Amino acid sequence: GPGGGASLRLCATRGAQDGINKPVIDRIIRVDHAGEYGANRIYAGQMAVLGRSSVGPVIQQMWNQEKDHLKKFNELMVAYRVRPTVLLPFWNIAGFVLGAGSALLGKKGAMACTVAVEESISEHYNNQIRTLIEEDPEKYKELLQVIKQFRDDEQEHHDIGLEHDAEATPAYSVLKTAIQLGCKAAIFLSERI
Amino acid sequence: PSHSYTGQGGQESEDYESEEQLQHRILTAALEFVPEHGWTAEAIAEGAKTLGLSVAAAGLFHSDGSELILHFVSECNTKLSELLKKEQKLVQLGEAEKKPIDEFLRHAVEARLRMLIPYIEKWPQALSVLLLPRNIPSSLNLLTSMIDDIWHYAGDQSTDFNWYTRRAVLTGIYNTTELVMMQDSSPGFEDTWRFLENRVADAMAMSNTASQVQSTGEAVVQGLMGAAVTVSNAETSRAVR
Repeated sequence: GPGGGASLRLCATRGAQDGINKPVIDRIIRVDHAGEYGANRIYAGQMAVLGRSSVGPVIQQMWNQEKDHLKKFNELMVAYRVRPTVLLPFWNIAGFVLGAGSALLGKKGAMACTVAVEESISEHYNNQIRTLIEEDPEKYKELLQVIKQFRDDEQEHHDIGLEHDAEATPAYSVLKTAIQLGCKAAIFLSERI
Repeated sequence: PSHSYTGQGGQESEDYESEEQLQHRILTAALEFVPEHGWTAEAIAEGAKTLGLSVAAAGLFHSDGSELILHFVSECNTKLSELLKKEQKLVQLGEAEKKPIDEFLRHAVEARLRMLIPYIEKWPQALSVLLLPRNIPSSLNLLTSMIDDIWHYAGDQSTDFNWYTRRAVLTGIYNTTELVMMQDSSPGFEDTWRFLENRVADAMAMSNTASQVQSTGEAVVQGLMGAAVTVSNAETSRAVR
């Protein structure tokens, strides 16, 4: 009978970047972009509630760093021609609600949320660093540098959260687990859609 | 990579050519015969003949011409990319003016649709084959890549939901214009190009309206906030007095 089927590989019209593992890089940049976008919205929510409190300046400073992170990933997204996740409008609202909600629990609540989210993000960045190093550390040198720097920044945010009595929040471990579960789900979805 | 050497009789043989490369060559050769035979095994057989191969080579492919059509679409998309890339270089070198977005989109869509003209009689048949469930993943992939390419060269740098909106709108413009072209009998397809111009203008107007609505919305919100602050200040000062 007729052979071949539609198995003939067709030229991709996309791809100014030859030689990179496009599917892997696509996922990495899409999910990181979504993460930084979400983090921005979380801090925005926290500032909306706690902006004029004593922790306002601390949150503002962490927020400013996230803004820089997002700016960087916007650039990378355009450079590598990666599509953003369809869920962006959803993360827009969900992030803000998480930030504002945790801030309504008080300053410690906001810090607990920060600790939970930043721990998730740091772990996530570490996984990506491992993946890229396994692929080809030379080819992905610039991307690796960016992710390592950002991982360090998020780790710092995590530590700042702890310094500000995050662990003294009532039901801290429950809150932290719930938030981290949410982060895992967000990461899973944003990589794919 | 294929190595070729010239044998003694002056005949060139491919020392190593992948089956895929061979299939591509057959399909490209077959395109010449599509206007006469349609997207069929006959066209592929004729194409194989011109390459000095047996007509049985047509047996490598589906009888409905799926691979031939997909190959054609892929080749057209590649040609479009190369054209847009070349024009982009000219703009970068300052040898050409950068087109405004609406003109660029019109130009890109028209250039791509013009590639159908030699095959226009048989294109409706091709469209129906592209819509077969078996072919939809490939044809959809080709369509979305092409639309994304056009936006890329148009200078789109959106990293938010606009990324999707713009591509959806342009896909709609492309598809509807393609259908109009199928039924257009005007000289030089001028009806089609006019239709295209109107659709692109609609899209531009829509996006202007959207941003106007957004800024109006923001202005209204700010007005309300201002009014609320004024009222609360008035209340406070009245209470103090």
